[in-house]
Amino acid sequence: MTRTLLTILLSPLCAAALIALFGRRRGRLSAAISVASAGLQAALTLFLLVGGGWDGSTFRDTATWLTLGELQIDLGFYFNQMSALLLGVVTIVGFLIHVFAVGYSDDDKARGRFFGGLSIFMFSMTGIVLSENLFMLFIFWELVGFSSYMLIGHYLTDVASAAAKKAFIVNRVGDFGFLLGIIWCFWQFGTVSLAELPQALSASPVAACTLTFIGLLLFCGVMGKSAQMPLHVWLPDAMAGPTPVSALIHAATMVAAGVYLLGRVAFIFNPQALSVILAVGLATAFLSALFAFGQTDIKKILAYSTLSQLGFMVVAFALAGGSEGAATSQFHLTTHAFFKALLFLGAGSVIHACHHEQDIYKMGGLWKKMPVTFVTFLLATLAIAGVPYLSGFFSKDAILLLAKHANPAAFWLLVVTSFLTATYMGRIIFVAFLGKARSHAVEAAHESRPDMLFALVILAIGAVLAGYTGLYPHALASYLEANIAEPTHAEHASMLLISAILSLGGLLAAFFIYYRPGKNTDTFEKAAPGVYGVLREKLWFDNLYDWYVRAVQQRVANLVAILELVVIQGVLVRGSGGVAGLIGLAARRAHTGSLNTYFYWFAAGVLAFWLTTSGIL
Amino acid sequence: MDTSCTCPFTHVGSAVLFASVAVPLICAALLYLGSVPKMVAKVMAAIGFTVPLVLALYLCTQFADAVKISGYAFYSDASLGLPAAGISLKLGLNGIALPLFAMAAIVSFAAGIYAIAGNQDRQQLYLALLLTMAGGVLGLFASIDIFFFYFFHELALIPTFIMIGIWGGTARRVAAIEMTIYLTLGAMLVLAGLVALYVGSGIATFDFITLRDYLAANPLSLVTQKWVYGLLLIGFGVLVSLFPFHTWAPRGYANAPASAAMLHAGVLKKFGLYGLIQIAAPLLPDGVGQWTNLLVVLALGNILVIGFITMAQKDLRYMLGYSSVMHMGYAFLGIATMGVLGLSGAVIMMFAHGLTIAALFLMADCVEKRAGTTEMASFGGMAHETPVLAALFSAAIFASVGLPGFANFWGELSIFTAVFNMNHLVGALAVLGIIISAIYGLRASAALFFGSRSAAYEKRIAANGKPADLTFAEKLPILVLLGALMFVGFWPRSISDSINAEMSAKYPAAPVQQVVPSAAASLSQDGDVALSGERKF
Repeated sequence: MTRTLLTILLSPLCAAALIALFGRRRGRLSAAISVASAGLQAALTLFLLVGGGWDGSTFRDTATWLTLGELQIDLGFYFNQMSALLLGVVTIVGFLIHVFAVGYSDDDKARGRFFGGLSIFMFSMTGIVLSENLFMLFIFWELVGFSSYMLIGHYLTDVASAAAKKAFIVNRVGDFGFLLGIIWCFWQFGTVSLAELPQALSASPVAACTLTFIGLLLFCGVMGKSAQMPLHVWLPDAMAGPTPVSALIHAATMVAAGVYLLGRVAFIFNPQALSVILAVGLATAFLSALFAFGQTDIKKILAYSTLSQLGFMVVAFALAGGSEGAATSQFHLTTHAFFKALLFLGAGSVIHACHHEQDIYKMGGLWKKMPVTFVTFLLATLAIAGVPYLSGFFSKDAILLLAKHANPAAFWLLVVTSFLTATYMGRIIFVAFLGKARSHAVEAAHESRPDMLFALVILAIGAVLAGYTGLYPHALASYLEANIAEPTHAEHASMLLISAILSLGGLLAAFFIYYRPGKNTDTFEKAAPGVYGVLREKLWFDNLYDWYVRAVQQRVANLVAILELVVIQGVLVRGSGGVAGLIGLAARRAHTGSLNTYFYWFAAGVLAFWLTTSGIL
Repeated sequence: MDTSCTCPFTHVGSAVLFASVAVPLICAALLYLGSVPKMVAKVMAAIGFTVPLVLALYLCTQFADAVKISGYAFYSDASLGLPAAGISLKLGLNGIALPLFAMAAIVSFAAGIYAIAGNQDRQQLYLALLLTMAGGVLGLFASIDIFFFYFFHELALIPTFIMIGIWGGTARRVAAIEMTIYLTLGAMLVLAGLVALYVGSGIATFDFITLRDYLAANPLSLVTQKWVYGLLLIGFGVLVSLFPFHTWAPRGYANAPASAAMLHAGVLKKFGLYGLIQIAAPLLPDGVGQWTNLLVVLALGNILVIGFITMAQKDLRYMLGYSSVMHMGYAFLGIATMGVLGLSGAVIMMFAHGLTIAALFLMADCVEKRAGTTEMASFGGMAHETPVLAALFSAAIFASVGLPGFANFWGELSIFTAVFNMNHLVGALAVLGIIISAIYGLRASAALFFGSRSAAYEKRIAANGKPADLTFAEKLPILVLLGALMFVGFWPRSISDSINAEMSAKYPAAPVQQVVPSAAASLSQDGDVALSGERKF
């Protein structure tokens, strides 16, 4: 078991090392190595999940990595049903996206760097899934941030470079809290092992306030990685990366790491912490869905949709907490990984065919040119909209049901958001895929390569079927079924009705509002330019942060730098030389004098400083 | 005069340690003697830089099983005829000195290779001075005798001044003079403190082992400890650019020739921290706690104030100089905790920072050689022309911002953990540094290598053609430095076990609050900014 997990973890790292050594100028070789390592991961995972390599019980194995005084950090695996589920998602979706990326990157000059980055990402992400303790998880957490940085900035343009930097720094802000939370955890409970923490928590009484603090600090990490408000600003910008990267990292897996972390440390959150988390998740889910209406770039729309769905997952966790919240959020994470990866790859297929055109109002009529892409994209749209009996329906239903029992206000907000989801997704279908072509590039578009379509079709099967837990490997099915609330018979009927109305109604609304073949203006923008402007500017979050960075942070930095120059270097060191130079003017010439006094005054300053400070003590 | 000992070396390891300090110094001496053909000078320098590296790596493999005399492996004692003054050339390595000694050897090798491949005027003198520095820094980490510890520092410091004065950048005169005055003054304070120890102990010896054993049995009075430690703290602090005594560092490094900056910022500067950890704290245990508050405040100054100043820098070398000052704040905080974890973290930080900053200064020089400037605004998109330089520079930046996978991460993590336990607020403020360093670090690599070209860069390309990527002689030292960082990053126990063993022996488990403080205590601590000044260990 350890050996299998170790192979799953390390094979992409070896691939990345090989690419770094030999693949810099050999794009094909790099792609082959990277895809092979992802394939190996997926195969071994399937062996564990369905091939009988794992008996479904919790597995733990550790080795000491570092010991310093009281601090001991272990390297180890903690593999349970929840990690098995995400491991399956990461390796299978990851492998499909690798396959798609081979075709997508055929005109990329830095293919080696691209696939090297993908492999580093797979290594880090697998590490997060398998980590036995919080310190180890943090290490892979940061590495995931690094690979995300590397891949967002892949094209080296101004936009890409700025987006990469922003993503890393915003994540660091989250990690600041996360790291403090882990360290606090360590001193509070004496361990950060995910296996030992629950016992330590129940064994030592902790003040509610401390526990809330620890929980919220850990949640800071989630806010960074899973892009919850107000740390969501990096994710839409991250769309500057190649589209397979957006699909893999910024939709299906990495951004889900935060939700996974919530599930991993579910036992630590008390009701106070959960209520804060719920508020953050609701705000993210609702506002992002609104912002999606103000975008015309197909990837940006999908990015805001991802934010909104991540909000759903966080809400799912916060509504119930504990293992029920964890399982419900993981379920939505799983179905979302399939349909959102498919949406992004579909968008990638379109973008690739339209020579990197991303504005939906320059597209139109693509369904004829790219039938496979269209059908798969449509299936994913129906799934995310929650059309009954597709994957999204089941997982979203579970969340709505939780909300209905736990928090009516949250329930109604989620209902509205679900409706909005169907509408903004319908907008893409009606504007970009149906109607007539709006530009020459789109007219000349043709269907993508078969290997790219292969990935689309497999993911489409997932997007349709991922909601049926009966199809899952036994261990995973029993985990989800045991922890997710079952609706009663009456509830079942009413939920089905609600879902059908929300999803189909939303799509219908999109048809009436947005289906204007040949026109390349946004109907909503024309009707209400003021409201549209607010949504386009996304409530000015980015402007606010830009203003802070430019006008506050940088000015403070410059001011401190000037103060240092004037006060410490100027007054204390040089200036004192100048004053003393006046006194000693008769004795020496000004320029040599300043050097001598420079020395004496410095000595006197040090002495005075030393005396006064110690005098205070 | 001591004539009884014919051979000071008890084991092979002792001779190896002695040789690794002596070889660079002998090579330097030969180069000082007279002018030799360029090729000969280069070969001799190569020997002087390579031999210590090979020997140091050999010693690392032998350390665990080596015979330890009073805690020191590879012990040797060569009397130089000064027994009356209590001075003899005692060399040896303990668990703290070993990784730093290895770091010194690696950085010396990297700086040396880069200097040999370069083409300074009067290269023979340049190499001779650099070899002297290398011998000095290796000697200071290998010394047990406090006199020689100080002597080797001065031996390495003087060539630094000379090299800045001769081969430095545009502001070299001011930089060299400022640095000389500051560092000489710092060193004088240290000397005063060390002499006070020599006199105060009453046994008139500079031998650290004797002093340690004697003072353990007969500790100095609290007042004496307090003042002597204070003297050493400020003196060592100036040498390590403790805020606000840091102004010499950025200007000095910005104007120093690359190899000198690498060795000084990377290795020699660690003298102060090393002195505090290895000498001052063990000999003056009760004096340390008296200064904790001050040290914490100043160290936070290093991290936060200097961190912000680093963000405002427009020149790459100044940015690196300030960032190096900032990172010293972490090490000082580690020292302020006076526990095994924090002090060990400080040692790992010293190790990692030495390698990182050396790699960064080297690459800053590579950038300047290609562009004639290090003004960050006059670059942009250079990754298209120099992909390898861009990749290695980014890697070094990520090492310096504490990305896991590099040794720096372990240093920061242990220091943060220890500091948080000392005081939650100080811990939180220290961890803020991970955001600050990410901001200035990523900004720098973005400004140089990514995005579109600046007008100035376009102009240079039009005039001089596109810059070439790194040559082998430039790549080799960078890869050695980053390789060592990643080796320890992936396998921290390669250095942490020996550090932990040594620290645990020096600082037996701290009985104060720790481990599982009661909830109430941690809550009151949360709101309580004041530090416990009277920490015992």
